[in-house]
Parts: sequence; C-alpha cells; structure tokens
Amino acid sequence: MTGAHWAVIGILALAAFSIRVLGLVAGGRIRASRHAWVLDELPGLIVISLVAASLAGQPLQTWIAAGAALGTAAVTNHVIATMVVGVMAFAGLAAIGL
Amino acid sequence: MKHGAIAILPLALGAAIYGFAFGLLAAQVGFPWWGVGLMSAAVHAGSSQIVAVEQFASTQTVIGAALAGAALNLRYIGIVATLSDVLAGLTLRTKLLAIHITGDENWALTMAERAKSRDVGAAFLMGSGLVMITVWTASTIAGAAIGAVLPNLERFGLSFAFTAAFIAMARGLWRGRPQMFPWLVASTATIAAVSLGVPKAYAIVAGTACGLAMSFFLRRTGRVLA
Repeated sequence: MTGAHWAVIGILALAAFSIRVLGLVAGGRIRASRHAWVLDELPGLIVISLVAASLAGQPLQTWIAAGAALGTAAVTNHVIATMVVGVMAFAGLAAIGL
Repeated sequence: MKHGAIAILPLALGAAIYGFAFGLLAAQVGFPWWGVGLMSAAVHAGSSQIVAVEQFASTQTVIGAALAGAALNLRYIGIVATLSDVLAGLTLRTKLLAIHITGDENWALTMAERAKSRDVGAAFLMGSGLVMITVWTASTIAGAAIGAVLPNLERFGLSFAFTAAFIAMARGLWRGRPQMFPWLVASTATIAAVSLGVPKAYAIVAGTACGLAMSFFLRRTGRVLA
C-alpha cells in the first residue's frame, strides 16, 4: 500500500469523523435553543428523503414493490415484516419479467 | 444493547452485500485486504468510501478523492444532531464512539423504535451500531480478499431490502397529518434533484432542507401547533 493509499484513508477518516462531531456539537446547541423542534422533524425528513432517493429513477417494478412495502408497514409497523414483503414483491415481479 | 444488535441483523445482511462489492472495487485499485478493513473501520461510511476509492482510481488525487467522499457524508450533521437526546448523560468518550458507529441503518432503526418506546436509547443505538460496523468491515475485507466468486445477489431483490426497511422506519416516525406537507416537499425535492443528475447523497441533504423549510413555514403561519 503506497503513501497515497494511506493518505486517502487518513484524510477520509478524519473528515468523516469531523462531520459527525460537528453534528454532535450542533445537536446540543439546537436542543438548547428555540429551534429544538428541528431535531424532532429531522429524523422523519431524512428517512423519507432516503426512501425518495432510492426510488428516484427506478423502474415500475421497484415502485410497485415499494407500494407493497408501504402497505405492509402501514398495517404492521414492523421493519422485518416490511422487508420480507418488499423483497418478495420485488423478486416476484422480477421473476415474471415486469 | 443486545436488543439493538439482534434487531439490526436483517439490515446488516444487506450492508454485507454492498461491503463485499466495495471491497472488490478497492482491491482492484491497489488497496490490500487489511487496508480495506482499516478504511472501513476508521471511516465507516459506505457511500463516502465508494466515491473516494472511485475518485482515487480515476484521478489519483488524494485530497480531492477524500474530500469528495467526505462531502457525501454531510447528512451526518443532521443525523448526529438528532441523537443529542439519545446520547444525553453519556461520557464524551462514549458519545464519540457512539457517533462513529452510527450509520444510516442503525440510526433510522433506533429513531423508529424510539418513536414507539422511549426505553429505546443509547444502548440500542450502540448495540446495532457495533453489529453494523463489524459486518461492514468484515464484508469489505472478504470482498477484497476473495474477489468476484459470488453470484450477483442483487437480482434476488436484496438491494431493495434497504428501501423496504427505510419505508418501515418512516412509518415508525410518522406522527400524523402535520408531517404530511413537509414529507411531501422533502420527497418531491429529493426525487427532482436526483432526476436533475444531483448525486443521491446531496439530493438527500437538499430534500431534507426543503422539508425543514416547509415545517418552518407551517409553524410561522400557525398551521402547526409548536
């Protein structure tokens, strides 16, 4: 492993951890401020954005499977049940060539 | 801690597939298996590692590759900020360990489970985080060491497992109609950004910011009780 490989690892590790520490400091300050509501809103907004990013530009098969997963989540509110139904729907649609 | 470690196992399986693929990629650009493992344990940010290694392979520039990868992780400012309540009362050293082992999956699972029960807290986060970082590191090492001997597991739908899991977590975080417009704005903005060619990691940050702006607007206009 060359010095450049070591440098990529070191700089990336330092930068990634610094970002997390920045979040830790920001969280404490926001929690103590009048904008504490932001911390209640952020989790849902980040998660729904993660979902949207993974669905953007995907074929119909993925959207239908996401619909099946959403229906399961709405009924069960259970992560593993939703994953099982979602993956089975995705694989089933792929198998029939949709 | 055990509760979190067990609950995260299905998600860890999905992470292992991406970890294996990343290890393979990193090995192809000259990282030895132990270097891949070192990076995974020290950085613990899948998308950042992938982008940094890709950039390094194509440009051979160290600073540019590392910063491009790190920039993809900016959403962690918001993610870690939301943990201030969960981590309250822990020592600084434990907090630093907790934020290092926090990833998208175990953070979202912790927040979703905490929405159901306030008993879920730092122990759940750390138990699930330790499993995730262990599986991630081990799978990247395996990818670098073993190479392309496994079939393409994505065709079995395992890549969709993450999406399904995040849908379930979103359901767990849903508190009712006041969230409807901010969530709609966040998801629409994210999809629009991705459609315009913005990398997904930045689109997530942009979508979240737009949703937050909508929440702020609704509060200012008195349409949501503070």
